[in-house]
Amino acid sequence: MKKKWMLPVLFAGIVAALAFSSPAVWAQTAPQRIEVTAKRFAFSPSEITVKKGQPVVLVLKSEDVAHGIRFRELDVNLKVKAGGSAEVEFTPEKTGDFVGHCSVFCGAHHGSMAIRLHVVE
Amino acid sequence: MRRALIMTTAMLLVGIGCKATPPGKLETGTMTFIKHHLTIGNKKEKNPLPDTPETRADGKEAFGHYCVACHGMDGQNTGVPFVGNMSPPVPSLASKSVQSYTDGQLKRILDYGIKPSGMPGSKGTLSDDELWSIVIYLRHLPPRGSQGVPEMYTH
Repeated sequence: MKKKWMLPVLFAGIVAALAFSSPAVWAQTAPQRIEVTAKRFAFSPSEITVKKGQPVVLVLKSEDVAHGIRFRELDVNLKVKAGGSAEVEFTPEKTGDFVGHCSVFCGAHHGSMAIRLHVVE
Repeated sequence: MRRALIMTTAMLLVGIGCKATPPGKLETGTMTFIKHHLTIGNKKEKNPLPDTPETRADGKEAFGHYCVACHGMDGQNTGVPFVGNMSPPVPSLASKSVQSYTDGQLKRILDYGIKPSGMPGSKGTLSDDELWSIVIYLRHLPPRGSQGVPEMYTH
């Protein structure tokens, strides 16, 4: 008789634990998704902020030709085809400001196409 | 008489300055000295990038964007059709006169070019990161002719 009640009680307990757990717990494990648009010769937004140790999914969308974003110090290099979209997941392990550059030659002012990444505690 | 002498000397100098034939040893030596010691500064700036297989590959890729149009894939003018018609001539980047620049001077040349030669500046067109990686590639140029002809000249 006892065994008959155990399964529903256990199930209810799991459901309750999931339902009442703090959203902050979920936020810590779910990657932060950041979308960046590239168009000759700028990124939008031009500055992004992420947390140290928190996974990030960086999505790069091109509005014209092929582009890329490279943060050499973080070993991140994401390339996107003309008009396309691409993404990369990484976890910044050090704080600081990092400047990323377009990593696919895209024209006369390619060298000035930059984005600033702030990694905070 | 004196005026005629001055005019003749001036015309000779202008004539020498405008010639399109390869410069002699004296002219080359003088210009090389002037560039190395007077006009191209930034001698002491160090390359912030490490010299690794990865940065060499980055430099090769960045060099391939448009440096190859005049310098060839190997930096030694291989396959560049107009290289014999340039004045001043396009130097081999493997030559002593180029390799004896410091890294900082090479970066300065990549940034701002060399006037009045045909060497343009690339600041803003390529990022600092890419330009420094090109400096690394220049220190490890492949053997002459080993990289073939730039794609733009193959059709």
